[in-house]
Amino acid sequence: MVGYCNGQQPAASLAGGIAPILEADALFYNYAGRSDYALRGASLRLFPGQKAALLGRNGSGKSTLLLHCNGILQPERGQVRVAGAPMTYDRCGLKQWRHQVGLIFQRPDDQLFSASVMQDISFGPLNLGFSDDEARRRVQKAADQCGVGDLLDRPTHALSSGEKARVALAGVLAMEPLVILADEVIASLDPWMRRQVFDIFDQLARQGVSVLLSTHDIYIARMWADRIVVMDDGIVVAADVAERVLANMEELMQYKAGI
Amino acid sequence: MSVIDRYAYVNRLRHIDPAQKAGLALLVIVLCLLLNRTVVGILAVGWMWVAATWQAGVPRRVFGRVLLAEGSFLALAAAGVALGVSASPPLGADWQWRIGSLWLSSSIAAVNHALLLVSRALGCAAAMNFLALTTPLVDVVELLRRLRTPVLLIDLMALIYRFIFVLLECMERIYIAQQSRLGYSTRRNAMKSAALLGSRLFLETYQRSQRMQTALESRGYDGDLRVLSITYRRDWRIVWLGIAMASSLLLAWLAG
Repeated sequence: MVGYCNGQQPAASLAGGIAPILEADALFYNYAGRSDYALRGASLRLFPGQKAALLGRNGSGKSTLLLHCNGILQPERGQVRVAGAPMTYDRCGLKQWRHQVGLIFQRPDDQLFSASVMQDISFGPLNLGFSDDEARRRVQKAADQCGVGDLLDRPTHALSSGEKARVALAGVLAMEPLVILADEVIASLDPWMRRQVFDIFDQLARQGVSVLLSTHDIYIARMWADRIVVMDDGIVVAADVAERVLANMEELMQYKAGI
Repeated sequence: MSVIDRYAYVNRLRHIDPAQKAGLALLVIVLCLLLNRTVVGILAVGWMWVAATWQAGVPRRVFGRVLLAEGSFLALAAAGVALGVSASPPLGADWQWRIGSLWLSSSIAAVNHALLLVSRALGCAAAMNFLALTTPLVDVVELLRRLRTPVLLIDLMALIYRFIFVLLECMERIYIAQQSRLGYSTRRNAMKSAALLGSRLFLETYQRSQRMQTALESRGYDGDLRVLSITYRRDWRIVWLGIAMASSLLLAWLAG
């Protein structure tokens, strides 16, 4: 088992799972060399087992927000909490953070670094400090879950784009996070492959894992998500259950969110 | 995926311990270098041919084609050893030809020396081909890890190997995009497009490395690329093959 640093315990487990699993409070962030802020007080709450879609046009700050939620970027102001505990940016804190929050990138080629599928999926669990046996179990489980169990021996460069996307997903699932952040992962997939990825997300949500999918596509959000978060110009402009957000289409039009 | 890479992943010896295969190849190389006879090199090529095609199931034409490519380079080098060029009539030559003001000559000793060099080099090359065609780089890296090679070198090898294919894909995409807009229609355009492709590839490499760093960090990277070891099986056939091969090479050397 992976221990929690400094005796921190996930608050959600203490609160019976009703507290938000991931909270971002008024995040501000400015990329070096840029005059305008990429995030201007963005806030987000995600509950256990929730399927949420993050909508917004290009440059609205979706990816920046996701990078903050995974601890890759540190906000200038604001705070990110996972399972009620404020996250820290020291080595131990980040390890715990990334155990709880997994991030899948838009381009699988950016994520797959290893020569073989098995080795690539094992990277996360081994970094979390699990034994080889436990890592092997997690690799097999995640690979089976993503339908790549028979590809473990294959070199990553010999995979199709759909297989690469599923291997990248398996690489994150093997860490068994509480929250999965998916940054436009379905953009390059065909409809059949999208369906498979959504099936995996649905299955994870049923197991209590929260999934936040960043997308431009409002129709995908309507079909799949039970909560929709809309971003524009570095702030969250709408966040509610899908029906309520989608009921106000004019407001969405105003933010050009996926339309 | 290159031909060598493809067969390395699909051959019948794929799951045999890479230490055994590397050991066999190393044994051939050492024997070829130590046993100074032409017949030893030729016999080594034969053994490696048998091991790669009969044992591993690599098609004969694939092994032959790879060996031929290396043999062509060796033949050019051997020509330099077997033939002599001089301005005056050569002394002690068994054959000589006058071409204009120059003399081209050769001797039995020079030809034998060239044959010895070619056979030894070809024997070593065949051993390396056997290893390359039966052992994917991921297994070689795994073997180096077991041999306690510095982690930094291992990580660099793994990343370079991965990036070769990523950049090849990227290069292909840019090339097609340029070609579709007449980027290579004239020699001048081709030179310009190739230069742009090269510079774009540098930028792409940098950007990709940044994105990969981010992706690695998101999965808990803290300096070491820790991945699971691959499990292999030992095969006695490789051991018996090694013993038979070493014995035959030694016998050929003693008989020669």
